[in-house]
Amino acid sequence: MRIPYSWLKEYIDLGLSPEELAEQLTHAGIEVDAVERLAELPARVVVGEIVSLAPHPGSSNLSIAAVDPGGGPALQVVCGAPNIAAGQKVPLALPGAVLPGRGPIEAAEIRGVRSEGMLCSGEELGLELGSPDGILILDPDVKTGQPLGEALGLDDPILVLDLTPNRADCLGMLGVAYEVAALTGAAVKHPPASPPEGEEPTSEVLQVEVEEPSLCSRYTARVIDDIAVGPSPLWMQLRLLKAGLRPISNIVDITNYVMWEYGQPLHAFDFQLIRGGRIIVRRARPGEILVTLDGVERSLDEEVLVIADAAGPVALGGVMGGESSEIKPSTRRVLLEAALFNAANIRRTSRRYGIPSEASQRFERGVNPQWVAEASGRAALLMAQLAGGKVLRGLLDSNPAPVEPRRVTVRPHRMSEILGMKITPEEVREILERLGFAVDPAGRSFEVTVPLRRGDISLEEDVVEEVARLYGYEKIPATLPRGEMQESREGLPGRLQGLARDTLTACGFNEIITYSFISPAELRSLRLPEGDYRLQAIPLQNPLSEEQSIMRTTLLPGILKTMQYNFHQREMNQLLFEIGAVFLPRQLPLAELPQEKLRLSLGATGQFPEANWYSPSQPAGFFVLKGAVEALLHRFGIAGVRYLPAELPFAHPTRAAAIMIGEEEAGFIGELRPEVAEAWDYPQPATVAELDLDLLIAKANLVPRVAPLPRYPAGLRDIAVLVPRSMPAEKLERCIYEAGGGLVEKVALFDLYEGAQIPAGKRSLAFTITFRHPQRTLTEAEINAAQADIEAALARLGAELRR
Amino acid sequence: MLDQIAQLEEEALREIEAAQDMEALKELRVRYLGKKGALTALLRRMGDLPPEQRPAAGQKANSLRKKLEELLRRKEEELRAAAAAARIEEERIDVTLPGAPFKLGRKHPLTLVLEEITAIFTGLGFQVARGPEIESEYYNFEALNIPADHPARDMQDSFYFTPQILLRTHTSPVQVRTMEKKAPHLPVRIIAPGKVYRRDDDATHSPMFHQVEGLAVDRGVTFADLKGTLLLFAREMFGPDQRIRLRPSFFPFTEPSAEVDIACIICRGEGCRVCGHSGWLEILGCGMVHPRVLEVSGYDPEDVTGFAFGMGVERIAMIKYGIDDIRLFFANDLRFLKQFR
Ligand SMILES: [Zn+2]
Repeated sequence: MRIPYSWLKEYIDLGLSPEELAEQLTHAGIEVDAVERLAELPARVVVGEIVSLAPHPGSSNLSIAAVDPGGGPALQVVCGAPNIAAGQKVPLALPGAVLPGRGPIEAAEIRGVRSEGMLCSGEELGLELGSPDGILILDPDVKTGQPLGEALGLDDPILVLDLTPNRADCLGMLGVAYEVAALTGAAVKHPPASPPEGEEPTSEVLQVEVEEPSLCSRYTARVIDDIAVGPSPLWMQLRLLKAGLRPISNIVDITNYVMWEYGQPLHAFDFQLIRGGRIIVRRARPGEILVTLDGVERSLDEEVLVIADAAGPVALGGVMGGESSEIKPSTRRVLLEAALFNAANIRRTSRRYGIPSEASQRFERGVNPQWVAEASGRAALLMAQLAGGKVLRGLLDSNPAPVEPRRVTVRPHRMSEILGMKITPEEVREILERLGFAVDPAGRSFEVTVPLRRGDISLEEDVVEEVARLYGYEKIPATLPRGEMQESREGLPGRLQGLARDTLTACGFNEIITYSFISPAELRSLRLPEGDYRLQAIPLQNPLSEEQSIMRTTLLPGILKTMQYNFHQREMNQLLFEIGAVFLPRQLPLAELPQEKLRLSLGATGQFPEANWYSPSQPAGFFVLKGAVEALLHRFGIAGVRYLPAELPFAHPTRAAAIMIGEEEAGFIGELRPEVAEAWDYPQPATVAELDLDLLIAKANLVPRVAPLPRYPAGLRDIAVLVPRSMPAEKLERCIYEAGGGLVEKVALFDLYEGAQIPAGKRSLAFTITFRHPQRTLTEAEINAAQADIEAALARLGAELRR
Repeated sequence: MLDQIAQLEEEALREIEAAQDMEALKELRVRYLGKKGALTALLRRMGDLPPEQRPAAGQKANSLRKKLEELLRRKEEELRAAAAAARIEEERIDVTLPGAPFKLGRKHPLTLVLEEITAIFTGLGFQVARGPEIESEYYNFEALNIPADHPARDMQDSFYFTPQILLRTHTSPVQVRTMEKKAPHLPVRIIAPGKVYRRDDDATHSPMFHQVEGLAVDRGVTFADLKGTLLLFAREMFGPDQRIRLRPSFFPFTEPSAEVDIACIICRGEGCRVCGHSGWLEILGCGMVHPRVLEVSGYDPEDVTGFAFGMGVERIAMIKYGIDDIRLFFANDLRFLKQFR
C-alpha cells in the first residue's frame, strides 16, 4: 500500500515529518518499507504560460507559441501538438534541460523559425500523464515559472507500507489516518461524501436483488446520469500515480480514488448496458460465460458469485467487472456498486482465475462494513463534481443483517500477566480510547467495543497486542522464564549426528547440504533396476523446475552432483559427506505421510592424502571410505561389522561391499561403475557410500565397559604368507584367531605386496600376531607351539609361508 | 735414557695432537701406554740404569705417563664433542617445511550455526525436538490457526504433494506435535531445528532453508520472558553488547506477535548498506502462543501461557559470516566450505 504524504494530510493533521511518521508507524507494527518519490524531474523544466499562438509560415502542422517562462521576456517556441491554446499553462523545457532518453534541449531553427525551448507531453517527461500525442496541459492555478516537479508535487514523499495480512484496515488512507490518530492524538477528518441528489428516485430505474446473502452480505447501488467520460483532473491523476494506480478515465479513476480513500472497492457499470434495469447477485449457473475487463473469457459454475442483469452475468462480484458493461467514452449513465463480498469465496475465485485485483485483495482481507454507503456517496459526489453527473435520489441498499461491532471482555490484570509487567487499568483504557475502542468498565474488567474497521480483533489477546504495541514494546522489561527445571539435552539422535560429523571431519571429510528434491534424470543415472525401492520417489505437485521435482530416496544424487560441481571448479581431491533425510512413500500417490529415514552419504575422489612431500599418496577410493566408515562405527561403539562383496547397480562390479552389522545391512561402499562416472562427466574415478543412520543410532553404544589392563607381557610374532589374489584377507585373519587356541590377542596386517618376485595371481600378506595369556607369562615354547598350529592351519587354507 | 724419554714425549705429543678420531686415539694409547707400549718398555728397561740415575729417570717417565694420560683424555673429550656436534649438524631439519598432512574436514556453516543455537538454548533448559519435513495440512496450517482460504496462507507459498500433504513451510508444526504429546504436563521448553521449504528462489530466498523453532509453555510465561530469552540469545550469538528491538508484527499462531531486529553488526547501528541504512537487521519472528493453538494442542489457555519464536538459520549465518547470496549454502563449493572452522 502506497501512501502519498500530502494526500494523507487531507484526513489528519500530521505534526510529523515523513521520516518520523515512517519510524512511528514501523514501531507500531505498520512496517514502512521505504519512503519514495514518484519521479525525479529534470532541471530547467518549468511551468510556462502560452501568451499567444501563431501559425508557422513553413508548415501547417507546426505553430509558433510565445511562452512566458515566469520572468523575463516571452520565449518563442515551435510546437507540433494540436492541443495547445493561448492562456494554457504547459511544461516548458528550457535550453539545457535533459529529458529522459534525449540529449539536452538547445535553441534551434525549426523550418526557418527560431525555437528557444520545447513544450512537453507527459510521456516526454517520463510520466503516465495526459495523452501521448498532446502537450501536458497543467491546472490553471499553478504558478508560472515554478519548477515543474514542484508544481506537480513530484517531490511528495510516498510511504510504502509492507502490511501484514491482518491489517486490512490500512488498505485505505482513512484507515491509516486512524492509525496515525492513535499514535499522535490528532483527529481524523472524513472527506465530503453527500452528493447532491436529483428528483428521480434510483428505485424507479433499477431493482437490486441479492439471492446469495451468505456470499454478499451487503449490496448498494446508485445511478448517476448525464456524465461526460473524459480524463480526470491532473491532481487526481497525479495522486493515483503516486498510489501506484494508472489513470484511465474520470469515472474509473474516481472509483479507484475512493477505494484508496476508504479501502472500499467500488465498481462502475455502463447502466445502458445493464439489461432489464435489474441487478441480481447470485451464483453463476453451470455453462455460463463472462468476458472480463481484461478480455479473457471465463467459464463459470456455481462456486462463483456473479453480478447479473436480467440476461446474464455482467461481473465477477468483487473480483473483476465484465467487458460488456465497461465504462466507455460513450457512457452517459453509470451504475455505481459498493458492496461487501465473502472473503473466502472471493479468494477462491480470484485464485482460480488468476486475477489478483486491488478489489479482491481487499475483500479477501476484510473491508470495513461501516463505510460502504459513505464511499458510494463520496464517489457519486466526485462524479457530480468532476464528470458533470446528476445523482439519482437514494441509495439502493440490500443489507439484511447489518454487522454489529464486536464486544470483547478485557481484564487488565490478565494483560499484565501475559505481558509480564504492571499496566494499570487507566493506561489500558487510555490506549484503547486512542484507538477508537469504546471502553465500558464491568467490575475488574472492561467491556470493549471494537470499531468495525478493525475486523482482525476478536479475542482478549488481540486487544492485549493493541495495548502492547501502542504502549511500546521497547518499554516491556526483559526477564527470563522461571519455573520447574527439566533435563536439557540434545537427545541421543542429535548427539550421535554431532558425533558422526565430528568423526568424519576429523577424517578429513567436508560436510555438504543439498536440496531434498532432485531431478528424475539424476535418479535414473544410478541405473537402478525396475522394482528398486529408490525408484519410488514422491513427485512434487508444483515444483519450481524439473531439476527439483521429486523427493530424494537416496542421498547419492546430492553427493554426485556436488562432486561434479567441484570438478568443474578444478577441485580434483574431494572428500565429502552429507547427513539428511530420504523420503520413502508407503504408497503412491501419497495417502499418508511418508517414512523419513536419516541417511549418511560419503564421497571420495582424487588422492589421499593430497600429494605432499611427507608421505606417499594412494587413490582416494574404496579403502579411504572404508577407513572413514570404520572410524565412524568404532566411534559409535558398533562391533561385529563385516564387509561383504556386493553387486550394486551403480558400482564397479568387483569394487563394492555391503556393510553388515550382524544380519542387518547398514549400507554400502562402492566405486562408481565407469558408465556412471562417465554419465556424470567425471574426469577420474570416484567412490561413494551410503549408510542407514537410523540403524547406526539404534545400534550405537557410547559407554564402553573397561577391561582390566593386562598384567602379563605379550609375545609378538610376524608371519608372511603367499596366497591367491582371490583369498580374502579376512579369511586369513579368522584362521589365525581360530588356530591360535585362545592365545591370539590381536592380528594386524602390516604389509601387502603383489608384483615383482611374486607369482602372477598371487599376493603376499604379512601380519603381526600378538600372543598373550591373561593369567601368566607365556613361555617361548608355548608361543612357538601356537604359531606352529597357526602355520599349519594357514597351509591347509592354501597359504604358502614365506620366511 | 732421559733423551729417549724426551724424544718419546715429543713424538707422542705430536701424534696425539694429530689424531683425527677415537680409533686413532685408542691406537696411540696402546702404542704408548699399553702393556707393550713404548713408555712401558722404557720403564721396564729402567733396571738397566745405574742406581743413581734411576730416581730421576723414573720420575721423568712417570710424569710423562701422567701427562700423556691427561692429554689423551682431553683429546678424547675434544673428539667426542666434535663428533656430537657433527652428528647434530647432520640431523638438522628445515623447520619451515609443511607439517604432516592432517587435513581436517569442515562442518557446513549452517551446521556450525545450528550447533551454536542449539548449545545456547539447551544451556537455558530447552530440549531438542524434531518433526517430519513432509507434513500434513493440519499441522502446517490448520492447527496453527491458518485456516484454508485465509490470506495468511499467502505469507508462505508451499510445495504440495496432495491437497492434504505438503513440504512444511516452517518448523512451527513441531510446536503442536510436541504439545500434543506432552499435554497436560508442564513445562514445555523445546527448540526444533530443521529444514523447511517455500516456493521462492533468488539471492535471499532458497526453496529449501533451515529454521529453529522455540517454544516455552508453562504457568506464568510472559512476553517479558520472551524478550529476555531472545536478548540473551542475541548476546550469546552476536556479542555481549548486542541490543535487540522488538517491532509489532503478525503471525496467525502468536498474539501478541513481534519481529526482532538486532543492531547491525557491520555498522553497530549507525546505518550502512547491509542494514539498508536503518541500523537494524531482522533476525526472527516471535510472539505469545495463540490461545487457539494452545487449545488444539491440549492446554487450557486460561491456565497456561507460552511464547514461541522462529528464526532462519541461513539469515543468521549470512549476518554472522558476511554472506550475501543464500545459494552459496547449497552449491557446496569446496572453496567456500573450506573457509569455515
Ligand atoms: Zn548497518
